[in-house]
Amino acid sequence: MVTTQSTDTRTKLIRIFTFLGGIYFFLYFVLPESAVTAIGMKAHHEQISNGFIVIGAMALGLGLYNIVRAHGARVVFQRSGWFNSLALLVGLLAMIGATSAQWIENLRNTKDILSVQVLGEFAMRIVEDAKNPPTDRVVPPFAERVSALVRYGEDRVSLIESHTNVSVAAGTNGASSVLVSEVRDRIAATRAKIGELKTISWAQPGDEALSRLTQFSQDAAKLASSYSIVKRSHDAHSTPQKVYDFLFDGLFNQLGSAMFALLGVYIAAAAYRAFRVRTIESGLMMIAAVIVMLGQISFGKEIYEHMPSIRQWLLEVPNSAAFRAIRLGAGVAGLMLAIRMWLSIESKSFSSGRK
Amino acid sequence: MSGLEHITPGILVILVIACGILYRELKRAQGGYHHFIRRIPGVDAVEGAVGRCAELGRPVVFTTALTDIGPVLYACLGVLHAVARKAAQYKLKLIVPQYSPEAMALVEDTVREAYRDVGRGSSFDPDGIKFLSGEQFAFASGYMGLMHREKAGAAFMFGAFAAEALVLAEAGQQVGARQVAASVSPEQVAFFICTCDYTLIGEELFGASAYLSREPVQVATLAAQDRLKLLFLGLIGVGVVLATLQAWYPGVAAWMPHTLLSADWSSLAW
Repeated sequence: MVTTQSTDTRTKLIRIFTFLGGIYFFLYFVLPESAVTAIGMKAHHEQISNGFIVIGAMALGLGLYNIVRAHGARVVFQRSGWFNSLALLVGLLAMIGATSAQWIENLRNTKDILSVQVLGEFAMRIVEDAKNPPTDRVVPPFAERVSALVRYGEDRVSLIESHTNVSVAAGTNGASSVLVSEVRDRIAATRAKIGELKTISWAQPGDEALSRLTQFSQDAAKLASSYSIVKRSHDAHSTPQKVYDFLFDGLFNQLGSAMFALLGVYIAAAAYRAFRVRTIESGLMMIAAVIVMLGQISFGKEIYEHMPSIRQWLLEVPNSAAFRAIRLGAGVAGLMLAIRMWLSIESKSFSSGRK
Repeated sequence: MSGLEHITPGILVILVIACGILYRELKRAQGGYHHFIRRIPGVDAVEGAVGRCAELGRPVVFTTALTDIGPVLYACLGVLHAVARKAAQYKLKLIVPQYSPEAMALVEDTVREAYRDVGRGSSFDPDGIKFLSGEQFAFASGYMGLMHREKAGAAFMFGAFAAEALVLAEAGQQVGARQVAASVSPEQVAFFICTCDYTLIGEELFGASAYLSREPVQVATLAAQDRLKLLFLGLIGVGVVLATLQAWYPGVAAWMPHTLLSADWSSLAW
């Protein structure tokens, strides 16, 4: 009794969620664009659609779980073909490891680049606040902010310098010597600007001081830009990236291409079977196929000058008509089934309703 | 009208008519009306193919390939349910290779329910639902390997397919499996016709489940589809007549069905 009740509740919940999930997209489609914009649906549509994608992405864990369960058991109990399963699991772990390492490396480098970019932005913010003191927030005293900027600037410049030296020590790791020397020039320029900032009294900054600060901001932005190019170039030759490239581009993509190449062989085999003229229909198909093939090549025009036009007609008229008929039929059937799914009109609900 | 983001008044009318037709057919089915379904040889072959596996002692393979959650998958699940019931009755090994992890959860539930329906719930093997890969050609290569290792007696390929269709069908052909395919992708239908014993084309995929189960709701939906297709056929006929008349009376262009269906809300200003 309790089980029946809980099943009924579960079924009702599923129906409610299915209906609510569907009604949003239904309304978005049914309402005119002006109405959708007026009630604010348009503004949030992308976020809501992304939310549905995120929920769908959670199912990826199910696939992973299934692979580990099915193939793990085969390896553990050494069932037939266990070594294939072992290869699959090793491949899976290697790819997860390589991708994670590459992701972590990218994350760290992006953080470094951002930390340099923020140097210039910080300087500009100080200048803007000095020109137009903010009324909506409290800012620390001007001198204190510049002092923090100088400390942070020295720290970042040292970091960039050490990273650039590492790149040079490792044979520039793909970053060309021109780029490296450019970064070094910018380091020197930024360091000089920091030195200038230290000599100015920031208690009551004048236009000259603010102009120096603006120049520092521009130099810091240029430094960040050059550093970012060197860093990305360095990343492209890092070990995690090399391992990832080897596994994904070198192995996975190539194997996929090999599978795709098999299609050529299979099409030939399928064509041989299809072109055996045993019935009137297969005879017609054979004739149509020969015309299309001859119309496609320049030799066809030598046989009969209108061959390409006949080919075009075959593809655009009878072939398109058949394709449209299939698409229309499938579309109508899909529409009916979609309505049924959305309203949860199931065979079971139907029979229970009849009871 | 591809890329239609918001409905036009004409399409809204069609949608309301579609809902009305579906409601009417469901009511008729509820009242005990018996809808006739013509024979579909490809669907009749489903039972024969499973029976062949029982005779040969070879497993049954059913794949929905690249089909994601949606009406097509829903139609495929109806056929999968029927195949799984037969496999359970004949105590056959059923393998359902998967491409989409989202669809896998529904597939697993469908097969489990089919086994329970025939009183063989304990025989259901969750390892039969195999996630191969979410990558098209990795899935195809996994499927090929599986067909060769398991020497399937029958292979059912239902759903949406792309370039991998021929790879899958050839794998079945190589191991001598009886193959039934059904696709809503017109480009792949030709490949299936060349390599499979039976091919269901387009909407026949949606009819297969109703044909196999004979459940009133499914049959009523099938009948509603046919009524709506008749309406579209009528619209096409009207379009042909108006397009011909247009040669003499250019003004009729405004009444062409595609013009009326694609007119947006601003044209209702009158």
